[in-house]
Amino acid sequence: MNRPFETLPMFLRVSFLTLAALLIGGCAENRSPVLGSGNISYGDPKAVELVTNEFGSTDLQMIAESMTRSLAQSGVLKGRPVVQVYDVMNKTSEYIDTREITTSIKTQLMRSGTARFASDNTDMQSQVDHLKLQNQSGLYKKSTVAKTGNMIAARYRLEGSISSIIKRSNDYKDVFYKFSLQLVDVESGLAEWMDEKEIRKTTER
Amino acid sequence: MGLKRFAIVALALLAGCATVPPPEPGSAASKVLATGPIEDVAIGPMRMARENGFLTVSAQLSNTDTQNRTLYYRYLWMGPEGFPVAEADTWKSLTLYPGQTSFVPAIAPVPQAVDFRLEINTP
Repeated sequence: MNRPFETLPMFLRVSFLTLAALLIGGCAENRSPVLGSGNISYGDPKAVELVTNEFGSTDLQMIAESMTRSLAQSGVLKGRPVVQVYDVMNKTSEYIDTREITTSIKTQLMRSGTARFASDNTDMQSQVDHLKLQNQSGLYKKSTVAKTGNMIAARYRLEGSISSIIKRSNDYKDVFYKFSLQLVDVESGLAEWMDEKEIRKTTER
Repeated sequence: MGLKRFAIVALALLAGCATVPPPEPGSAASKVLATGPIEDVAIGPMRMARENGFLTVSAQLSNTDTQNRTLYYRYLWMGPEGFPVAEADTWKSLTLYPGQTSFVPAIAPVPQAVDFRLEINTP
């Protein structure tokens, strides 16, 4: 006894099977390249962050942007001089990772092609250790070993500070940040460039 | 039938009114990218210059409202081919007092920038 499906012409049978496979496949397919629940999302890293009025990502980005561009455009950094970056002094009552501010400033100055950077105090130990390893361990081929005494000394040092004034009342909390940065000529001790960025953030309770 | 014709003509006229001509290339309006309708903020002249190899820009923004107005803005930096040559700037917040006019300055992050766009959002 023939079943109804088997009585159909071959091309119709093939068409039905293809359609069924496509429909089943279509239902099972995940239509967006996302795994996981919808409670987590990626946001714009450049968005204005107003979650609390403590020091935040927007403050860090605005400070780094403003300082870098002012310094790059000032004309002081002619001929891509070597700069040594010192840690920014945190004079606020908050914990602020000031190294991230200097890292952003260094990265942006490097991208602009206006300065080169000498090993700063945190990189220096690794630099010295590696030079010693190459020269004293006997592990490396002589012709490829980096010679000691050839490190480039910085012409300028970049140093700064961040301070804050916080005022509270029953209705308001006002935070005022001031970030200052200066470029000092190591030989003469003269400050060749200086700038500051002020930020005010107010919360109404 | 007459009513139908009238409706068609009226719709065509309305569509004609709603079509805003594109801003002239090089004009201040052509530099503005609005992420929605710009409300109570007037965009004035823009100044562009090259200082020590970097493009510097200043745009005039005015509050036309009778209350304080907060807006968000950022600059985008374009190369000679009309494409971005650096990451977009960080969005910044600006508060304008009633009737206040402010100048929003910026310096390009890389010397390759030859043009800019001002992205504005008025919440």
